[in-house]
Amino acid sequence: MNLTEEIRRKAREWLESKVTDCVIGYERATDGVTARPLFAYGVEEADRLIFDQTCHHNLARYVLNRKGKVTAIVVKPCDSRAINLLLNENQIQRDNVLIIGVVCPGIVETGWRRVGEKLQNACQMCQQHTPVLYDFLVGGPPAPEPMVPDPYLDVAEMEGRSAAERRAFWEWQFSRCIRCYACRQVCPGCYCAECFVDRLDPLWVGIRIAPGENEMWNTGRAFHLAARCIGCYQCEQVCPVHIPLSLLNRKLEKETRQTFRFQAGMSAEAPPPFSTFQKEERLGIGE
Amino acid sequence: MSRFISRKDTLAWLGRLGQNRRLVAPTKVDNLLLFRQIRQADDIVLELDNTDLSPKDWFFPATETLFSVERKDGRVELIPAEVERETVIFGIRPCDARGLAILGMPYLAEPADALYRQHRDKTSLVGLACLTACPECFCTSMGSGPHDPSSLDIMLTEVEDGYVVAVLTKKGESLLPEDLLSTVDVAAPPPPSPSLVPSEGIVDKMRQAFDSPYWSQVADRCIHCNICAYVCPTCYCFDIRDYTNSARIERVRSWESCQSPAFTRIAAGHDPRNTKGARMRQRFAHKLLYFPDIFGPLHCVGCGRCVRSCPVNIDIREIIQDVQRMGALK
Repeated sequence: MNLTEEIRRKAREWLESKVTDCVIGYERATDGVTARPLFAYGVEEADRLIFDQTCHHNLARYVLNRKGKVTAIVVKPCDSRAINLLLNENQIQRDNVLIIGVVCPGIVETGWRRVGEKLQNACQMCQQHTPVLYDFLVGGPPAPEPMVPDPYLDVAEMEGRSAAERRAFWEWQFSRCIRCYACRQVCPGCYCAECFVDRLDPLWVGIRIAPGENEMWNTGRAFHLAARCIGCYQCEQVCPVHIPLSLLNRKLEKETRQTFRFQAGMSAEAPPPFSTFQKEERLGIGE
Repeated sequence: MSRFISRKDTLAWLGRLGQNRRLVAPTKVDNLLLFRQIRQADDIVLELDNTDLSPKDWFFPATETLFSVERKDGRVELIPAEVERETVIFGIRPCDARGLAILGMPYLAEPADALYRQHRDKTSLVGLACLTACPECFCTSMGSGPHDPSSLDIMLTEVEDGYVVAVLTKKGESLLPEDLLSTVDVAAPPPPSPSLVPSEGIVDKMRQAFDSPYWSQVADRCIHCNICAYVCPTCYCFDIRDYTNSARIERVRSWESCQSPAFTRIAAGHDPRNTKGARMRQRFAHKLLYFPDIFGPLHCVGCGRCVRSCPVNIDIREIIQDVQRMGALK
């Protein structure tokens, strides 16, 4: 049985037995070749569900729109880490999510009307092919996880540049930002009731779509995701002006992994480093 | 017989255009195609479907200062913003030119937006007719077409070795020196046929669909970013804020969008449009109901940018079809 059939069968079963009234998964987009999110509320809709290597969206964030209701959701391994993040940060209850985990074949690069053959950057460096949590697993038994010798090659390359070069690089990147906030809106970790850039009284970040504010926005967001980004690359993928946002997030992931031996979303229980404090912590400040 | 300019003369003409004006044309910026100021004619990309962002930024900038207030010699002085330079936009597609006609309806209606009027008055448009239709374009269903000359000052249609030229306005005459043109026995190729969207009668259908649960269903997958509004050649909403210090106040306008969760939040935190479904309905009702009710045309030119750029495939073509299929709600 293929992934699509397995997912449809489980979705139908859950909807028919009324353990949930909504299965969030994927269906074919109007370009006929890529995928888009689908909220299936009935059996007929469940029959529109698909899964293939174009299903790039991380659907975890949608669960926040259904707080207090039981929601079934299709997750890839990276998306499953986002569910853990939300559990870990007490945004959702485990009893309210029914998780169809997919042993992930890797997602290919896609665009409107375009399905590439190459795996996405995130998938090339992926070290988690089986979801970290699930209620029902599709795509066959968990396989041994691959070893990627150095998943931070791109970060190291950037670290090798001078401060002036790095500044010039990011100024150029942020100069294109149109502050559409797609990066925030798609991010499972960006769920603040009021984002710091939407704070109007007092105004924390100006409304200008211009270099200073653009930098403030993009770096502020990156820092808010330190030790919280689960590495799904959704922000980078949706950016309409192609800012390599994952590079910032991965730099902070590398730092927080080294410092706290913590990787976001791997467990729902491990205390997140920036929500806890240990007296004996030594962060090298002032040394 | 047609008026004609050779490819070589076009390059020379572009060089001259850039001498005393800002020359803006499609160009590569990293992997994006954008309308940007051109330093040398070689940077212009004319083999394109269309640019990733619309050219509206040159009339309704993402951010601009409307006026400033300064303290001088014990007096307070208001300094209005001025658009100083003449601009020519080269290579604009007919859909985007129509986008400017639509954008002008709210902005130039009296009392006109002074800054928008200056941008519009000081900018000339040299259009490039479409020889092929992108699969997601639907300009003919939105009252325009691949060879629609309205709003343009000059229209170019590519033929072998050059362009068939139609000079359409006085502004256009002043842009193109007669000595670069010749008369040739070449006809402009016929326009391509973009795909059709059932837009006929959509205004009344939208009125009937106002209370439909459809909007919250479509909104389920919407992430409420502002991409659709910011790539759109006709979306015109903004936010205004004063930037102040002890010597100076600047009143700044920046793009905003009805999809943004904070857009309609007002004093004391009340939000009259506080659900995803209400925001989704607003986008399409503005385009297909409120705007035509007030100004006449649909608030869409069928450029297909929002279709291509939406991260979750909210597709206006599909929405129009769905609304047309809806029965009348009681």
